[in-house]
Amino acid sequence: MRKPMKKATNTKSKAAKTSAVSSPKKAESKVSAPKVPSAIDTDLVEVLARLLGKTDLSEIEVEKGDLRIKVARTLVGASVAHAAHVPQPITAAPVQAAVPAASAPATKADAAHAGAVPSPMVGTAYRRPSPDAKAFVEVGSTVKAGEKILLIEAMKTFNEIVAPRAGTVTAILVEDGQPVEFGETLLVIE
Amino acid sequence: MFDKVLIANRGEIALRVLRACKELGIATVAVHSTADVNAMHVKLADESVCIGPPTSRDSYLNIPSLLAACEITGADAIHPGYGFLSENARFAEILESHGITFIGPKSEHIRIMGDKIEAKRTAKKLGIPCVPGSDGGVTDEKEALKIAKKIGFPVIVKAAAGGGGRGMKVARTEADLVDAFHTARTEAKAAFGDDAVYIEKFLEKPRHIEIQVLGDGQGNAIHLGERDCSLQRRHQKVWEEGPSPALNESMRSEIGEVCAKAMRDLGYLGVGTIEFLYEDGKFYFIEMNTRIQVEHPVTEMITGIDLVNEQIRIAAGAPLGIKQSDIKLQGHAIECRVNAENPATFRPSPGKIAYFHPPGGLGVRVDSAVYQGYTIPPHYDSLVGKLIVHGRTRNECLMRLRRALDEFVVDGIETTLPLFRTLVRNSDIQNGLYDIHWLEHFLNAGGMDGTPEA
Repeated sequence: MRKPMKKATNTKSKAAKTSAVSSPKKAESKVSAPKVPSAIDTDLVEVLARLLGKTDLSEIEVEKGDLRIKVARTLVGASVAHAAHVPQPITAAPVQAAVPAASAPATKADAAHAGAVPSPMVGTAYRRPSPDAKAFVEVGSTVKAGEKILLIEAMKTFNEIVAPRAGTVTAILVEDGQPVEFGETLLVIE
Repeated sequence: MFDKVLIANRGEIALRVLRACKELGIATVAVHSTADVNAMHVKLADESVCIGPPTSRDSYLNIPSLLAACEITGADAIHPGYGFLSENARFAEILESHGITFIGPKSEHIRIMGDKIEAKRTAKKLGIPCVPGSDGGVTDEKEALKIAKKIGFPVIVKAAAGGGGRGMKVARTEADLVDAFHTARTEAKAAFGDDAVYIEKFLEKPRHIEIQVLGDGQGNAIHLGERDCSLQRRHQKVWEEGPSPALNESMRSEIGEVCAKAMRDLGYLGVGTIEFLYEDGKFYFIEMNTRIQVEHPVTEMITGIDLVNEQIRIAAGAPLGIKQSDIKLQGHAIECRVNAENPATFRPSPGKIAYFHPPGGLGVRVDSAVYQGYTIPPHYDSLVGKLIVHGRTRNECLMRLRRALDEFVVDGIETTLPLFRTLVRNSDIQNGLYDIHWLEHFLNAGGMDGTPEA
């Protein structure tokens, strides 16, 4: 059985938790499934979808025999499910199992989401100026352009991240101590 | 051994390094620009971190971003691949001060060999034969003229901070020289930020023959034979093969031992390549590359040694596990660098690959990060992949190469595959009768004129 290829969702972070960080990119709204085997699978999909809703996870993947099911969601609400029949390993090219074309549009779509504030750098995000202080912003906060919204630390240097425009914070996608990459959506200001 | 290696590169070499890490059981981190989010090695790595926008300067050359990526992933070593920061001594030093291992040579050796004047001086001291030339940099035209007359025309003026074929001007007469001298300095300043130049004898019809070396930094070093990289276009290697059609066993072991001893004396750590121009039975040192090279698979095919694996092991502190007597060259290997370029004009042809079918079979290796449906981004080099073929003899290798080239399909973009199909059928190539000017002469004389598409 070939291991499904995946982009990392578990970077070792100081917060040491399963990261929901890369979920916006992983939200695959396109389905590449050739065949859906049997009715039993829809029950499993429902169970997984419910589990997803109940927890902080953005994605659950299950392999049963030669069936693999992945249920993933974006944080803006839509639940996406697709079932993929894992092909027998008769070809050498790993690309059979990958969805390269699908993930690119998903990434772009998400980053282009009006209001998304992407990270300008790689580092560790902090929502407050110091461990006991209040967070810079919460969901619902109104911000002015240039107002401090986050800190990103890299190599012991703290960089202030400011709001690129005025508006209301409708979503915060990072937690204290979470590692972030370039271009990753930090929060949404509408 | 390292727990986690961050691969600070892209394309086929990033995939190559990833494969070696996986085989050693080391966790992998792929860093990439936004343009490379769909790269094959990014898909296969255990973790990935986007480090910047498409431009190299803001991503693959962005040292703070690379360091931050190490920090958030906990990588304990970085493999720099080739190009980018692989020969940046400052980068190696910065990593060292952060407690991250740079998988490569000691920074002082990178520095020495990065300065071409210093490299030559060091090579001379180590007993490596050099091209007759100025003793160090030349700063004024009177001096340049004196040196040129002493060496004998034609001469070539080279940038000290150059290398890889860049920043060089040939002068055949005294009149030419003054011009060449000043132009070389101006260009060097513009391209490398340093106008220091030196002068060497210009060899008319040399071959480019390089020796692969491997050292453990603990005083042990060996050579792994040569590669003949004479087929070049604008100083870029296009076709490399090993062993060289021009050398016999005694010449090979003689120059090989000179190089291995030099590396032992230097205390060199890691892989390296010592490049020579070879003419009339004599070797002339031109430069040393302190990194894994694009054409390393040629050596791997004829020696059976995994060079990237050795690099990683040695960087982790292992001593050289191979003796010189273990190195036996078996058969012949040829590598063709397939680029996304028009095969006659060499105009770049980035874009989406509609259909990709690489060749297979005994003795055929394709080192490529490309796959069906992949789009070659326009921001980086145009390498589609390397086709490396091995045979028990040079003739068998050529036949296999011809067969493999005919099987190789890359649709949707233009590639240099037709160039290789033409070369493999050319009698000079088949007889191994070529020098570093051969390919340019062939192309200028219309060798690829009227070549139908793909």
